[in-house]
Amino acid sequence: MNTNTNPDDAKLSALLRQSRSSPPLPPRFQENVWRRIEDSEATMKSDTWLDVLAALVLRPRLALAVATLLVMAGALFGAREGNRMAQQDAQTQYMTAVAPVAMR
Amino acid sequence: MNRSLVIVLGALALGVVLFVGSFAMSQRLCRICVQEPPGSLHWLQREYHLNNDEMARIQKLHNDYLSQCDAMCRMITAKQQEVEAVLNTATNINPVAQQKLNDLEVCRIHCQAQMLQYFINVSRIMPPDQGHRYLTEMERNTLGLSPK
Repeated sequence: MNTNTNPDDAKLSALLRQSRSSPPLPPRFQENVWRRIEDSEATMKSDTWLDVLAALVLRPRLALAVATLLVMAGALFGAREGNRMAQQDAQTQYMTAVAPVAMR
Repeated sequence: MNRSLVIVLGALALGVVLFVGSFAMSQRLCRICVQEPPGSLHWLQREYHLNNDEMARIQKLHNDYLSQCDAMCRMITAKQQEVEAVLNTATNINPVAQQKLNDLEVCRIHCQAQMLQYFINVSRIMPPDQGHRYLTEMERNTLGLSPK
């Protein structure tokens, strides 16, 4: 490894460092930086099952697939129920025709 | 409120709305589309697994019975009107009112007997197990008889 031991270079570096003007830090800069680091760590640690679920829900592909599945399941069960009700309607019509209330 | 909870609850609500909405729409559409015209006996064919020959015989029996049924209903209505007329003038159940009530009941019994005979005739055309099921169902629905 090449280490720079030239005293002139060291002097030059010090001069350059002095010439570079660094802006003043805002008040309580360090404290704020630490707080932000702590906050981000806390957020990462508190990933509960609810957060995982919410993240899953927000995935467009998964959301679309689940929505499609729900619509199809609803339509299927609805069709079955509609069929059953139509059959029941027809049976009621038949009963009314062959056995009017007056006869029962 | 927790953001994740809001998202999950919102997704659940949306899911319920989607399912219930498609269920209701499909149910309604299917009920309308499958609905049979008045007087149709297709439901009987489907429900009791009848072939076309059995269905044709039942259809004929049904048409014959309906004309009888109309006549019987007219007779019952006439007897009911007679009872009403007697009861409107009388302040008590006098012998005439009693007689009219008896006539009405006899007429009803006669009609019920004809109706039962129709059910029995229809059930005989069906395959035995289906016929038994049909007869039990009709007796339960019309006369409130408990299944055998």
